[in-house]
Order: sequence, then structure tokens, then C-alpha cells
Amino acid sequence: MDTARATRADLLDPATIAALGRIEVTARWIVDGFLSGLHRSPRKGFSVEFAEHRPYQAGDEPRHVDWKLAARADRWAVKQYEEETNLRATLVLDVSRSMAWSGAAARLTKLAYAERLAAAIALLFLRQRDAVGLVRFDDVVRSSVPPRVRTGQWVRLIAALEEPGSGRASHAASALEAAGRLIARRGMVVLISDLLMDPDDVVQTVRGLRHAGHQVVVMHVLDPAELDLPQSSEALFVDPESGVEVAATVADVRAMYQATVREALVEWRRALSAYGASYEPVITDAPFGVALRRAFSARQEAP
Amino acid sequence: MGFLAPLWLLAGAAAAVPLLIHLMRRRAGARIDFPAVRYLLRAEREHSRDLRLRNLLLMLLRVAAVLLITLAAARPVIRMAGGGHARTALAVVLDNSLSTSAIVGGRPVLQQLQARARDIIRRSSTADRVWLVTADGVVHGGSRDAVLDAAAHAEPFGGAGDLRAATVRAAALARAAALPAKEVVVLTDGQAASWHDPLSLGDVPLHVYLPAAPAPANHAVIDVRAIPTRWTPRGAVRARLLASDSATYRITLEGRTLARGIAARDEEIALRAEPPERGWNAGTVELEPDELRGDDVRHFAVWIGPAPAVSLHPLAGPFARSALDALVQSGRAGIGNEIGFAPADEASKLPALLIAPADPVKLGAANRALEKLGIPWRFGAAVRGESMVRAADSTRALDGVIAESRYALTRIASAERTDTLASAGGAPWIVAGPRYVLVASPLAPPATTFPLHASFVPWLDDMLSQRLSGEGGIPRDVAPGAPLSRPPGVDALELPEGGAMTLSADSFTAPARAGAYFYLRGTTRVGALVVNPEAAESDLSRLTPEALAVRLGTRATNVFTDSTALTASVLTAAPQRPLLAPLLLIAAITLLAETLITAPARRRAA
Repeated sequence: MDTARATRADLLDPATIAALGRIEVTARWIVDGFLSGLHRSPRKGFSVEFAEHRPYQAGDEPRHVDWKLAARADRWAVKQYEEETNLRATLVLDVSRSMAWSGAAARLTKLAYAERLAAAIALLFLRQRDAVGLVRFDDVVRSSVPPRVRTGQWVRLIAALEEPGSGRASHAASALEAAGRLIARRGMVVLISDLLMDPDDVVQTVRGLRHAGHQVVVMHVLDPAELDLPQSSEALFVDPESGVEVAATVADVRAMYQATVREALVEWRRALSAYGASYEPVITDAPFGVALRRAFSARQEAP
Repeated sequence: MGFLAPLWLLAGAAAAVPLLIHLMRRRAGARIDFPAVRYLLRAEREHSRDLRLRNLLLMLLRVAAVLLITLAAARPVIRMAGGGHARTALAVVLDNSLSTSAIVGGRPVLQQLQARARDIIRRSSTADRVWLVTADGVVHGGSRDAVLDAAAHAEPFGGAGDLRAATVRAAALARAAALPAKEVVVLTDGQAASWHDPLSLGDVPLHVYLPAAPAPANHAVIDVRAIPTRWTPRGAVRARLLASDSATYRITLEGRTLARGIAARDEEIALRAEPPERGWNAGTVELEPDELRGDDVRHFAVWIGPAPAVSLHPLAGPFARSALDALVQSGRAGIGNEIGFAPADEASKLPALLIAPADPVKLGAANRALEKLGIPWRFGAAVRGESMVRAADSTRALDGVIAESRYALTRIASAERTDTLASAGGAPWIVAGPRYVLVASPLAPPATTFPLHASFVPWLDDMLSQRLSGEGGIPRDVAPGAPLSRPPGVDALELPEGGAMTLSADSFTAPARAGAYFYLRGTTRVGALVVNPEAAESDLSRLTPEALAVRLGTRATNVFTDSTALTASVLTAAPQRPLLAPLLLIAAITLLAETLITAPARRRAA
């Protein structure tokens, strides 16, 4: 049993698994480990999307014959449709400067963790034949990949995730709105961010998404040092995004800081839950399997 | 509250360290990138009051701990009421000067003071240290009983002593004892003459007791002089009295009454005499007894001998001859071989009055004669030109005397004491030693105007009778207890009541009892020491308590005239309790509180 657990990539230390290969590879290991396809789609296709033509064969239903092609080319071909998934999801990934930070050299930065987590989630969706897209943002939307399920989407997503750089500030509201626009009908929006931003804007946008019928999952990425405080006696703490400086004696303020962080998490959960959004804190020293399970369960529990 | 190690209080400056750390704490530390600064800001904003209070409390506790520890290191002590008196170094100064032997209320003042001293000493405990210091400078210490005994048997001193010095010494004794409390008690008759200058006793409290009764009237002989100090054989006794009215007096010599009489107030007594006694003799001037007996008799000593027989050398000159003739005719000198009077080159024995030879050719012979006689002076180069003569003793009127021709006098090494009686041009001109007088010029008008001067004959008389005739030495008047040097060649001091006190040390103190004492060389009297109380001691005027307090001028002085109040005020210092343990306990509690406040944070930090 222990041996089996030890070989499951989704249960390995995030930094360890990240060191083994690129996002594409490690995401596959993680998802393989996670045993994709655990869920069954509650809704089966009611629409199709054209994928390719194939020659007509006896027995094919006439309604699938492409009559226009037959008229133009005098060739009978049958339209092949890609079965549309029961879900269209967009991953919204925060790539702001605050995400590119780690409280310890041996840990992944929040962004590295979030990228791998996003890749794993995307692969999970794709393996379920769910369409998945990606929006990367900082203070503006940096890039977006519309949700698709066809072959090549995975590659596009990985390419987008591997784009370098991160912006200065975070503005999730515009990114969430963009994600909502990418999903034509009811779908899922997964926000992966450290949420070091104004809660009101985010909550208002989430409310809009929920009114549009989208399922919203917020994965709050936290470094363990953000739950506690970095080990130090006297220090000048500097926000890498805003440049704000705060001098503090760690021993004096640690307890109050911890209480404040706990309170902030509770406020996020309360505010998002009020509009039916799922909220899951994700700590960057937790195995990816834990975060995937939370994301998966959030989707299952979503209304 | 006092401190046994007050220098440690300087370490209290260390209390500034926590204060500075408190003020500077937000300026130290590393710079750390931390995205969640917004949570830190929020935490500080929401808990800023708690933080400030906590930091302030910590700072106060740390400052208090440093102050308490430094205060404890200074070893503070505090006086606590109850439980008897603190261990005290008590020095009692008993005024046993002559004035306290005055009879007031039927008994000597000293007895009253002794009773006060014993009352105070009895109040002391075995934990105290007690001394008795008397005005004559004697210190009695040891057990309480020993000091009580010393107080009971203190004898009146023959003079004024030095009450101020005794008080200062008593304070020094008390300070040196290193006991928590120190006190000096002065028991005095409050005689104004005893307290001239302010005292400086530092932080030692001073209690002074003086009797409330007024000082008695007093008459006294305050001065007696035999003039001259050597009678050949004629002389005079002069005395001054202190009396509010006329007084009956008697003048004695060796117990024989020379004269009696009644002196008016402020009248100076003078008696001329040519007594048959010879050698050193003791005399007195006495008044009728009054309340203070010690100053009713005053002593004197005088050497009496025949007029000096002088052998005048013809080469001494006509002026010397004329002056000696005048002395012989008045009976102040005679012709004989007792004293030589000659040019130095002709001198063959001492005693002699020697003058420079008129002929410079004889200078070598003169110096050889001086060497042969053991005189440590030599004639040097002749000095021409007018030089004013100045007498070393201003009482000898040599003003106006001019030396026109003289020889430089050079002293050769000798332990023998010599006197320069007069100088000319800044150089010795008349010098004297045991049994010789030497003049650096011939006594003739071409060399000096001295033989023509009015002072010449009296000077010659003085030299012959006071310096050269009989045994050497002049009587010395001192106060009881005065420090003295033993004169050369003196073996013992003959006491007035008979017997002698051997003098072996080079210095000694004058006897405490008044009287005429004689220096002895073998069995021969070679000088006199006359001990009399200071004249000021006969003035019994007393200071009021207020005036005495002002005159003492020292801090923490209490002056009493009531013995009960005095006794109640002495040995009342509350016992001192050390505050070391309580301060350390409070410091420990302070540090414990600081630890309790900071421990959770330290645990979290660990």
C-alpha cells in the first residue's frame, strides 16, 4: 500500500515532482496518478461540433451526409462531429508578481505550483472529453486559450502555461469576465490565484459569473510562510507588487498575523460561498493530488 | 535611605539601554520580500494598541529591572522605626579645660559634664562603639565600662586644650567605625574662647550640651614677666591681672614673699628687686582664691646672678672702654675675668665678646683664634662702603647705625646653633652662639657709627648680662600640653613638687599642670620651662546656645542646655535595614513578568 502511494506522482512532494520534468510531462504523471475519469458526465451531448469528413460507407445515416460537399464535389462524404463535452471550463491563472514568490528555497513558487496544478486540471478535463481553456492574467489579461476538447488543445495549453514573465499587480475581475466570455454556455470557471487583491471586485465578478450560470471554483494558493511569517527577529517586509514596506518584530506580531490570515480566509470563503462559488485554499507544500481532489470535489459539489 | 556602595548607582545609566532599544527597534532587521504584506498591515492596524501597550510594558519592565538591580548593587539601607537604636559609633567629647574647673552651684562644672557623659554612655549598647575624647586630646576607647570609668575619672586640664581639635578627632573616630549611625556629643561649658572657627564634621550629627547656669565672675593673673629674663642681680617683675575690681596680690620668689599689695582694675603690677638668690629661681604672682583656682596663680622663672665681671682688652678701643665704665659705674657690670671683651685675634677663652681687629694684618690671627675657641665663624674679605645695620630682633633699636668698614663673616659647617643678631648690607654683622658674641667691624668710628649710637651701651649690657654671663638659656613660657623640642644637652626636667622627669626623646609635651620647671644637665639647672594657662582661658564668658550653634557652623547640630533633652536626643537613630533582598526579589518578579509576556512569542519564534 505504501509502495503504491509512494509511486503515485500526485502524492509526491510538489517540488520533487516538478523537478522531474516539464509541466507537460509532470502533469501527465500527476493525472495518471490521480486516476482520471473518476466522474461520469451527468449530461450527454446534445450538440455536436464539426471535426472532419470521411467517405460515406453503407449504413451511414443519410442525415450525416454532407450534401453541400456532394453537390460541389460530387463526392459523398459523411461529416464527422466531435462530440461536445458536457462541460466547458476555463482556468483563470494569476501570474502576477506576488505569485512568483516562495517562502523557502526548497519550495515551488506559488506560480510554479499553480501552473502545474492548472496543467493537471486541464489534462483531467481533456481526458474526460471536457473542453478546457486558459486565461492568464496579472493587472491585464496576458493570454487566453479558448476552451476546446480537440486534439492539440493540450499542447496549446501547455505552451500558454510556459509563457515567461509575470506582471506587477493582480486584477482578477477582468480576467474572470474574459473567461466568462470564452464560455458560450454554462460552464466552469476555475480561478487559481493567491487572492492578494481587492476582494470586492473579485466577488462581484464571481456573482456575475454565477448569474450567467457558470460554475466557479476559486483555488486560493498560499505559501506556508504566508500562513505563518518568515523566520526572522526584526525585519522590513516589502510587498513586491506595491512596494509597501512594513517593519515588524516577528515574535511580537506572529500570533496576530496568523489570526488575521485565518480571518481573511474565512472572509473569502464566506463571501464566495454567498454566491455559490467554491473556495479551496491550496498550500504550496501539499501534494498536487490533494489540490486536484479538492478541485474535483468542488466541481462534483457545484450546483 | 542611604547607600553602602553608592558608586553602583552610576550603573543606573544602563537603564537607558532598554529605552533606546525600544525607540530604535523598528529601525533594525533584514529586508524581506513578502507578498502578504497586506495581512501584516491589517494585523498591525487591528492590533496596534495592543502592540504599543505590550511594547511599552516590556520596556518599562526592563528599565525597572535594570534600575532595581543597580539599586540593589548600591546596597541601600533604610531606617526603620522601632527595635531600639541603630548600631552607633558614639564619640563623647568632654571639655576638661581649665575653665571647667570653675565652681558653679557648689561643684566644678567638669563634674556636671562628667555626669552628662556617663548618662549618655550608659545608654549605649554592646553593639555600639563608644569613645571619650577630652579637650587635652586624650582618647579613651574600649568597652563601655572602660569609657564610663574614664569619664568618671577625667581630670581638669591645666590649660585650654583644643576642644575644636578634640571634636574633629571624635568625628573622625565615629566615621572610621563604619557603623550605620554616627554621633558626636560635645559636653562643654560653652566658653566663648574655645570656639573660634566653624567645624566641618561632614555628615556626622553633632549634639552639644552646655550648662544653663551663667559663668561665674573670675579674676586671674593673665601675664607675668621677669624683666630682664636674667637678673644681674637686679630686675623687675611685671604682671597683668584680669579682675572686675581691685585685687590683692602677692609676689613670691622660691616661696619667699617679695611683695604684697592691692592692684586696681586693669593696673599693671611692677616690682623691682635685687634678691639674694642666685641661679635659676621660680616665682609666682598670686591672687586671692575665687571660683576658678587654676588661674589665680601664675608662675615665672628668672636667672639671678652677680653683675658680669668683664676683662676688657686695651685694643678693644676707647669706645668699648667708655661703655664698660658706664656699666660698671651703674653696677650692671664689674671688672674681672668672667667675660672677655677683646679683638678676636687677642681672644684666648670664652665667654667673650669679640670684635674684628682694627688692623687687617691681624685677620689671620683672628681666624686662628676663632678656630681655637670653637667658634664656627671666620672673617673674610674686607668690605668698604656704608651699609645700614639692621637688627634681627626688632626690639633692639639699631636703626641708624652704619657700618663703613667690615669683614664678611663666613660660617663654617657646624651643628651648633648660631644667631645672627644684626646684619649690614644683607650680610651677618653681629652673630652669637653659646658663650660668644662676634662683631664684624672694629668698635671705632672709622669702621662703624655703632659706638657713637645711643643703643650701644644698652646693647653691651644686654650682651654681657643676658648672653654671656652665667649658664646659658632663657626661660620659655608655654601652655600646658604644648609640643616642645628637648634643648641640646638637657637630660631631665625638674618638677615643681620635687623630683625630675627624664627627657630622652627629642620632643615632648609640656606638663599639664602649671608651674615653673627647670631643665637639668646633670644636677645643674640650665634653663627654665614656665607652664601657665592661656590668658584667654581666664575669660569665662559663655556663648548662648544660639550663638554657639552659629559659631559651630556645621550641619545637623543640636545645642542643648537641658540634660534630659540631650540624653533623649542621643542614640536615637533608627536601625537600618538592608533593602538588598527586597529589591532583588522585586527585580526577579519584574524579570519573571517580562519572561511571561515574551515567552509565547519566543516559543513561536523557535
